[in-house]
Amino acid sequence: MTLIWKLLRQHISLPQLGGFFLANLVGMTIVLLAMQVYEDILPAFRGEDGFLRNTYIIASHRVTATSAMSSQTTTFTDEEIADIEAQPFTRRVGVFTASRYKVFASIGMGGHYVGTDMFFESVPDAFVDADLAQWHYAEGDAEIPIILPRSYLAIYNFGFAESQSLPKLSEGLVSMIQMDLRLRGAAAEQTLKGRVVGFSNRLNTILVPEAFMAWSNATFAPEGEAAPTRVIIEVTTPTDDAIPAYFQEHGLESDGDQLDTGRATFLLKMVAGGVMAVGLLISLLAFYILMLSIYLLVQKNAVKLQNLLLIGYTPARVSLPYQLLTLGMNAGVLLLAVAVLLYLRGYYLDLLWQMFPQMSEGRLMPTLVLGIALFALVSIVNIAAIRHKINNINRPA
Amino acid sequence: MNEITLCNVLPDVFSTRSGYHSDIWQQTVTLRRGATYLIEASSGTGKSSLCSYIIGMRRDYSGVIAFDGNDIRNLSRRDWAELRQRHISLLFQELRLFPELTAWENVQIKNLLTNHKPDSVIASWFEQLDIADKRDAKVGQMSFGQQQRVAMIRALAQPFDFLLIDEPISHLDDDNARHMAQLLQAEAAAQGAAIVATSIGKHLPLTYERTFSL
Repeated sequence: MTLIWKLLRQHISLPQLGGFFLANLVGMTIVLLAMQVYEDILPAFRGEDGFLRNTYIIASHRVTATSAMSSQTTTFTDEEIADIEAQPFTRRVGVFTASRYKVFASIGMGGHYVGTDMFFESVPDAFVDADLAQWHYAEGDAEIPIILPRSYLAIYNFGFAESQSLPKLSEGLVSMIQMDLRLRGAAAEQTLKGRVVGFSNRLNTILVPEAFMAWSNATFAPEGEAAPTRVIIEVTTPTDDAIPAYFQEHGLESDGDQLDTGRATFLLKMVAGGVMAVGLLISLLAFYILMLSIYLLVQKNAVKLQNLLLIGYTPARVSLPYQLLTLGMNAGVLLLAVAVLLYLRGYYLDLLWQMFPQMSEGRLMPTLVLGIALFALVSIVNIAAIRHKINNINRPA
Repeated sequence: MNEITLCNVLPDVFSTRSGYHSDIWQQTVTLRRGATYLIEASSGTGKSSLCSYIIGMRRDYSGVIAFDGNDIRNLSRRDWAELRQRHISLLFQELRLFPELTAWENVQIKNLLTNHKPDSVIASWFEQLDIADKRDAKVGQMSFGQQQRVAMIRALAQPFDFLLIDEPISHLDDDNARHMAQLLQAEAAAQGAAIVATSIGKHLPLTYERTFSL
């Protein structure tokens, strides 16, 4: 082997092979880095408390000028709900049930007496994101537990209280206030006590337990059952870009930025895909350089190769040195690219952690598998091409 | 391998020529293992072409060349490698040595492939052919006569049924030619192999069973 290598290494062009090595290293690193960044950022979207985590999406029909003017319905039919349930991204769907009676709530606060008309809605308990310890109601209970959107408190504290010189309220303080609730429906009228037991980031409504809603609707407005106008969807992967597409297609809209995760994922996919394509292109060009360089080498050493074949060496045996050479270089490129990747990853992970401390680290395995797959593919093509070239030399004239 | 048969063989370049006499071209000739043949030719009669056909390097001929009855056009690359390692050895007219390697390495590159002879035997051949002092010299720096002897030793560093030697002594003096003849006759006899020598004038001093005129 050493003698053959001594022969066949003649005419090896270090600048050419170095050029290939560098170019392929750049290409491979870009491909792997794009893949890894994608893998690392995605969990930040998905993470248990990830910054873009919105496992719950509240959907309603889009209210347009025409639908508002006309009697066009914005309620959800059973078929629509069943269709949403059937989507692959859906884990479960809950409907909002609205109160069908009037509610007047009043609070006595330091001599002031504040009162307002309001409404209730309920969703299945499983969708409620507040402490559920006090979240139960049985008929005859003295107090109705209520959950408010956290944003309401912010509106009061920083909007209303500020301008009216009223005291600011903490969540704990609000929970201590008992309010009087006057419920008046077509069938009955009653005054009950209510207490805020929690605040929700997810549910942008005044929420009461489903059990209370069932009882109160039956008691105060027994006639009919209104179709829901909003549904809450728990999705398996909020990053699924099929969700915004589905919403778009069915004329649905969500509260606030709940769909942004899917959109951001789509964008991330596009960017990662684009960068990977550039990396692949560079790798492809590098691969081309290598093939040209090896072909040139084989051509320059054609006489030596032919003589080796004529004294009885098999094409496999004389191909081996060049095949090992390319294999070694490809492996070197892979290892170095992974090393560069790990180094760069250390950098950007630190940055990401500073921004999203709760973020969980993405997996390294898919990137490594991609790298190894690329290495294997390129090496197999190299090996086959070298063998083919040498067989050509061996072909009798 | 016991015989090489040439049946109506003619190099493509001669196909337009007519009216020449040859004991080989367009004849049926069988070369048998164990015999010694001389092919005499003048320049340009296709002597080296014949060697190239038999070693599987070229195929630009019509007719059939067969080894033990098998048309050599049907042989695979693997078959050729096996034949060149174990059955046919060719001393090329143009030698086909590797100038970057030393004389010793040029022989080793073959002997490592076949594991045919111990180093001590090869060293004794270097002595016998009077190039022992050139063992570690680069072949590219040796005279053609010296290179011919290195190529001869390389050709013997393998088992063979047929030894083809294409103008082996064109650059050797009579003494060296005699040494070479003795060496390869001994080796061929030991293996029961045939020797097929070509010549355009100066014959390797052997006893030839048959002489062909090309």
